Amino acid sequence: MVTSVSRHPLRLCSPSDVRTQREGLQRNICGKDIQQLKMPDHIDEKLKNYRTAPFDARFPNTNQTRNCFQNYLDFHRCNKALSAKDQDTAPCMWYQRVYKSLCPMSWVQKWDEQVEAGSFPGKI
Amino acid sequence: MAHQAHAYHMVDPSPWPLTGAIAALLMTSGLAVWFHFHSTTLMILGTILLLLTMFQWWRDVVREGTFQGHHTPPVQKGLRYGMILFITSEVFFFLGFFWAFYHSSLAPTPELGGCWPPTGITTLDPFEVPLLNTAVLLASGVTVTWAHHSIMEGERKQAIQSLALTIALGFYFTFLQAMEYYEAPFTIADGVYGSTFFVATGFHGLHVIIGSMFLAVCLLRQIHFHFTSEHHFGFEAAAWYWHFVDVVWLFLYISIYWWGS
Repeated sequence: MVTSVSRHPLRLCSPSDVRTQREGLQRNICGKDIQQLKMPDHIDEKLKNYRTAPFDARFPNTNQTRNCFQNYLDFHRCNKALSAKDQDTAPCMWYQRVYKSLCPMSWVQKWDEQVEAGSFPGKI
Repeated sequence: MAHQAHAYHMVDPSPWPLTGAIAALLMTSGLAVWFHFHSTTLMILGTILLLLTMFQWWRDVVREGTFQGHHTPPVQKGLRYGMILFITSEVFFFLGFFWAFYHSSLAPTPELGGCWPPTGITTLDPFEVPLLNTAVLLASGVTVTWAHHSIMEGERKQAIQSLALTIALGFYFTFLQAMEYYEAPFTIADGVYGSTFFVATGFHGLHVIIGSMFLAVCLLRQIHFHFTSEHHFGFEAAAWYWHFVDVVWLFLYISIYWWGS
């Protein structure tokens, strides 16, 4: 069960990947032969376009739970406020993208069910 | 005839430490028996033994000090240290519950709605009965000080009146708090709010009852001429304990009732 969301730097290379550049073969940063690692093009495209939530100084620490929860709240509050004034809720999509990047899916599912049932504890 | 050549008190052999230890054993194992086998017999037996131990042990301390003269100045100094250390340990006991309260209330989790008080909790108005309770305990602090000065000045009647008033105020606090507990819109089972509220205020209430009992014993002793204007440490210990109970309430009131509402 996930109890908090963390931002850990991913290990990109394992120790066994490190090789010295001896042959003329192309190597990537882990020293693996690039020819062997050629990925299908559509995944390569996706990798180049990956974006995630930017640094938010309000939540500087490793425990990002509040970051996730706050953006979830802000998305719903934004929707509520803009709909009340009969305005387009497109600007609210930013918050949705942030919480979808940060939050565990099980939390989002649980909260969505609660919002549906009217039992969500947060103030919207 | 042999007699001691020092001012200290070598206590006569006594069975009460043993009966106290047995009582502790019966109470704790009785608690486990109650949880698993739905029988309170062992626990009740342990409690009766504990009450008997306390009554007889402290009766013996009074006999040794008041009637046999064993409580010389150095002995009294030791008793003072003892009471101060005991109260200090109680301070740490309450510190734990305040830690628990602040841990949960300073960073409320999403399950609570990310806010304090948590969603769905209707708190008690701090300016109603809780404020009255604060006034009652502060007043009782004044009356217990009045009692102390009356004893020191040899004013027997005033000492009895002010001590009785202190105890009455203590009972009034307990009565008001019991009413609050009965009428409260939340219970101990209502999340971390309920847990921290009732455990912290509950232990405080227990200490008010203990303090009131201690003062009541002092009242009986005062009526029976046990205290002199120079030597009345039993009363002083009770007064210290009572002030400690008052201070804990002030912290409870500010933290849980007022800030936490």
